[in-house]
Amino acid sequence: MTGLGVVSPVGQSVCELFANLLNARSAVRPVVDSVCPGARSLVAAQVDFNASAHWPAHQAAQYDRATQFALVAVRQAIVDASLELTEEESYRAGAYWGTGLGGATSIEESYRQLYAGNGRVRPTAVVLGMNNAAAGHISIANGLRGPVLNVSTACSSSAASIGEAYRAIKAGYADVIVAGGSEALVTNGNLRAWDAMQALAHADSADPARSCRPFAADRTGIVLGEGAGALVLESHERATRRGARIYAELVGYGNAADAAGISKPDASGQARAMRAALGEAALSPDSIGYLNAHGTATPVGDVVETNAIKQAFGAHARELPVSSTKALHGHLMGATGAVELLAAITAMERRVIPPTAHLTLPDPACDLDYVPNQPREAMLDAVMSNSFGFGGMNAVLVARRYRP
Amino acid sequence: MDTLHTIKELAATQFGGEPDAIDENASVDKLGIDSLGFLEFLFELEDKFGFSIPQEAVANVRTLGELATAIDGLITANAATPT
Repeated sequence: MTGLGVVSPVGQSVCELFANLLNARSAVRPVVDSVCPGARSLVAAQVDFNASAHWPAHQAAQYDRATQFALVAVRQAIVDASLELTEEESYRAGAYWGTGLGGATSIEESYRQLYAGNGRVRPTAVVLGMNNAAAGHISIANGLRGPVLNVSTACSSSAASIGEAYRAIKAGYADVIVAGGSEALVTNGNLRAWDAMQALAHADSADPARSCRPFAADRTGIVLGEGAGALVLESHERATRRGARIYAELVGYGNAADAAGISKPDASGQARAMRAALGEAALSPDSIGYLNAHGTATPVGDVVETNAIKQAFGAHARELPVSSTKALHGHLMGATGAVELLAAITAMERRVIPPTAHLTLPDPACDLDYVPNQPREAMLDAVMSNSFGFGGMNAVLVARRYRP
Repeated sequence: MDTLHTIKELAATQFGGEPDAIDENASVDKLGIDSLGFLEFLFELEDKFGFSIPQEAVANVRTLGELATAIDGLITANAATPT
């Protein structure tokens, strides 16, 4: 990993993101009535994004909000990596990008006009809303002529896109892949759809910012977020040949399915994905110094993940620092795997573990070390990041400190 | 209402640049407008003028000047049609 970029509710740079994670600064806020009229009071974590800072208005209009996040995060990562490609090299440089709903805002606006508005559909509706719009624009904006893939596996989309990119480079199909994911689905329709599942957190009446409480006894559910995370992945040969700064090395990717329920998670599937990642990395459980959990703060999900960690790590589970940063940035859906891996890598680089915020009431069923509320300094040699998607799609990544 | 001026203003909004700098005699693709962009532009013009622009009315349009002429033709035709 030679470059990192992020657009998130808690920061639009890696530095800003990580500082806010350490300080447990939450971006969760009440959803304004103009976004979601009539529903019970809801909270979400949104990005305070100014498109005009990046493009003239007529260009920004060609990109759905999720695509905008993607382009900015990718540009950051490419600049961070000092990545330059000759035309020849561009044929071996790709983009693997994850998203749950793609151009959700554009899709919703198209249907709103069609059914509740003037009945007209704009010619660009398809290219604005399509699931692979971000992947396409990333390739176009950065001249990436190698393999390009759009990966959509719900909440594990960007973890899977990064894992698949890792495999493609290892197998020699590309030398560079910009990998990650983006999501911008905090719309009226999606808020109502998630609310209908009764999966969303109750807004904390005293302090809405504290509404997302992973692993806590008083957790009530998910807080939707939005954003993008991007990583530049390069082959070892290419990165060392050009003297790139190497943040960390991706050494393991476990992808294993629950084959159980469409929305209810299963511990054994998650454990298999974690074990597969460890196995590929050839690392023992006690080599992992920090696990960034999926930790969505649902009553069921957090217990299942806790049990899965115990299954995968055995005796070491009790010693393993685990935290869910979703407490602060919300559930970024298709972008969450990328942003959380980025947070885990930064933790390894800066030698400090971001806490699980808002964990004041422990749950006996969630009895691991979740690094509650305060950051913790730690020498980390290897980290793991979990992402578990609806449909039982589990993607786990392991990264290790780079040793030349 | 100067149709050409309206078209240039909308083109500036949609494609960038200054309205007065847009050459009404340059071909649409020389102005950097691709086929999807042109379709979207027509869509916006329909909103602006308040009537539908049928495909056959613009089938042979190559420049913004020709587009203005075509739209003027539609305005006249619409005015002549009893409602």
